[in-house]
Amino acid sequence: MQLGYLPQFPPALTQPILFGALLAAGLLVGEAVRRYASLPRITGYALAGFVLGPQISGLLGPDALETARVLIDLSIGLIVFELGFRFDQAWLKRNRWLFVAALAESVLCFLAIHLALLYLGFQALHAASAAAIGTATSPAVVMLVAHDQRAEGQITERMLLFTAVNSIFAYVALTLLLPFLRLEHATNWVLAALHPIYLLVGSALVGFVACGVMLGLARWVGKREDRQFVLLVALVVLTVGVARALNLSVMVALVMLGMLARNLDRRHVLMPLRAGHGGQLFFVILFVLTGASVEFGALATAGVAVACFIVARFLGKAVAIYAFSRATGLRRRGAGLLSVALLPMSGLAVVMLHDAQSLVPGLHGELGAVVLAAIAILELAGPVATQLALRRAGETQPEPNDG
Amino acid sequence: MAEHAVDERQFRRSAQKSVGIELELQLVRARDFDLARDAADLIERLEKRALSGAVKPEITEGMIELNSSVHDQYPSLLEELRAMRDVVVEDAGILNLYVSGGGSHPFHDWTERRITPSERFNLLFERYGYLAKQFTVFGQHAHIGCADGDEAVYLVHMLTRYVPHFIALSASSPYYQGEDTSFQSSRLTAVSAFPLAGHMPFVADWAAFLEYYDKMRSFGIVGSMKDFYWDIRPKPEYGTIEIRVFDTPLTVERAAQLVAYAQALVVYHLAERPCEAARAVYLVNGYNRFEACRYGFHGEMVEPYAARKKRIGDDILETIALVTPHAERFGAGEALAALADVVRHGRSDADWLRGHRGKTGALADVVRESAARWARAPDRDA
Repeated sequence: MQLGYLPQFPPALTQPILFGALLAAGLLVGEAVRRYASLPRITGYALAGFVLGPQISGLLGPDALETARVLIDLSIGLIVFELGFRFDQAWLKRNRWLFVAALAESVLCFLAIHLALLYLGFQALHAASAAAIGTATSPAVVMLVAHDQRAEGQITERMLLFTAVNSIFAYVALTLLLPFLRLEHATNWVLAALHPIYLLVGSALVGFVACGVMLGLARWVGKREDRQFVLLVALVVLTVGVARALNLSVMVALVMLGMLARNLDRRHVLMPLRAGHGGQLFFVILFVLTGASVEFGALATAGVAVACFIVARFLGKAVAIYAFSRATGLRRRGAGLLSVALLPMSGLAVVMLHDAQSLVPGLHGELGAVVLAAIAILELAGPVATQLALRRAGETQPEPNDG
Repeated sequence: MAEHAVDERQFRRSAQKSVGIELELQLVRARDFDLARDAADLIERLEKRALSGAVKPEITEGMIELNSSVHDQYPSLLEELRAMRDVVVEDAGILNLYVSGGGSHPFHDWTERRITPSERFNLLFERYGYLAKQFTVFGQHAHIGCADGDEAVYLVHMLTRYVPHFIALSASSPYYQGEDTSFQSSRLTAVSAFPLAGHMPFVADWAAFLEYYDKMRSFGIVGSMKDFYWDIRPKPEYGTIEIRVFDTPLTVERAAQLVAYAQALVVYHLAERPCEAARAVYLVNGYNRFEACRYGFHGEMVEPYAARKKRIGDDILETIALVTPHAERFGAGEALAALADVVRHGRSDADWLRGHRGKTGALADVVRESAARWARAPDRDA
């Protein structure tokens, strides 16, 4: 008897099944940690991913992570675009110390991590690249906690602004270190020096061109929220795709797109965007998948180094924020809350680390593991810190049933 | 509450005909020009500045209230308001906020508003529920000093006749919750929902007023004079009457002009005592009020003493001509002339707002423009 209409057994794990399951798992664990542990949903998504990932159950293998790449890029693209879009040049004009403070936050954080790693005996250039990676706060986490908690206020705004600045700082610093790192492996000087220029100028240029297209089309489309949302998604996806095709930085291209769109929109043709429920879907998958890539490997062997990395990172940020809190008009106790809110690390750092590792094999060793472990901890604890800080600041508005 | 009430029965004497002003202002965020929630941060900053007046929180977190000190002369009031405006705008800028006049925020969603955490506001929210959040509207209150309670009662009766004037001249809330209401002033609808809104009863003098007040207290309907949300009410602890029907205008200049108009009316009525209090004023009040809210200067009001209908704009122009000589005494001749111009050219703040909706039709652009207008030096105002 021929039963050709029956599927093979076991049935193939198709993409819809995979993504549906990811969404459901993220939703369930996210909701569970919120209800029973008062933790941010995002921590739950990441936990779900961690449990499904290679570290624990192995249900989500590297293949699955690779096929989901498009979704990750798209969701990161949307988040980073919004981060850039909230970077308000007019504010920096009206509050002149703010940009100095944001820059100081990046620089001090970088120096603090660098010093800590030197003290632990790591090689200077490698320590510098690890420090650069550590400087960035996770844009996805701060943005999503802010959305999730409907946070609104001074700490929230500064958290997002500082995150935009330190993410770009981290990328630029790491990129500028590249030629020196590669020189260790004796490649062509000129080629090595051209690479960061290509990356930085190229990524910025992609953002700039996309911004021109976006503003032109928005003007033609008119101020209608539904249409502008489609336009936005279209251009974000395009920019992600182009940046990726050209081996450029997706993050820099999209932050640039966001920043320029906000600040070059002289005719005010763009609507302020709000990530709707559609965005939420991507974000669940994003965090489940980043959770799957969490690696605690180095904790057992280099726990002290990991702790030093995290503490130095926090202190660097906190000192700069304290130093400028008066000048930038931060309220009492605000500096502490802002420093805590900026703790999260996640996917962006993983991507930067992998990119750096692919060029500099020296980063594969203990240092890489330390950074990964720090990311793992701050990936899970970071959302909790940010949520706590924003709640303490009185800037959140939990849903009525949040209790 | 009880000791408060004892004080309230005493009408504190204040400098006759002096004025003070309270302005409820919108605090909007730069990102999308929706209402912000940073009033507490801004007020904390402003407490460190040497301001002549005061800045206070209001019921929801996107509102602040500016209080002037007491003035006899129009120019000094205007000067103080301008100085306060500049400081508030500057400090708001540090926090990436804009300040705007206008009786309503054109498109905010009242369900998103958050009650300012304080005992008083929490009590109001508990009692009035959603009305408290919907009360995120912005009014200007003008205080005018009276010699005693009897004078205050008389002036309330007199000024009630001019309520449609006050509404039409200040109207600046054509948009509400993202819609063009077709009204010039939609704000007063939010006030009318409260059980003790409306007007003072027709009482003969301060003694009769106290009798009414005591009765309301004994019923347990009010706890203090503050519980009356009347358009015009006596404020015995300040020794003033308080006019509360004005929308907050789009500029401090207009705010000062409106106070000057009220002050001129008071001076005129006290000097000439042109008429006796009349019940008819209250019979026509509801109709006149609606006409003013809906149509502004083009509305029709019933003139209660002559018992005939008149265009509100015409009545204002005639009244301004009548009281201008009195306004000269406190330096406000020009102010009244400016108001007369507004009426003649039909350029109320509500008209200005509608005019700035622009080609895009987006209300966020209207808020951006009105915030820029609030911050702008007056010479570029026209």
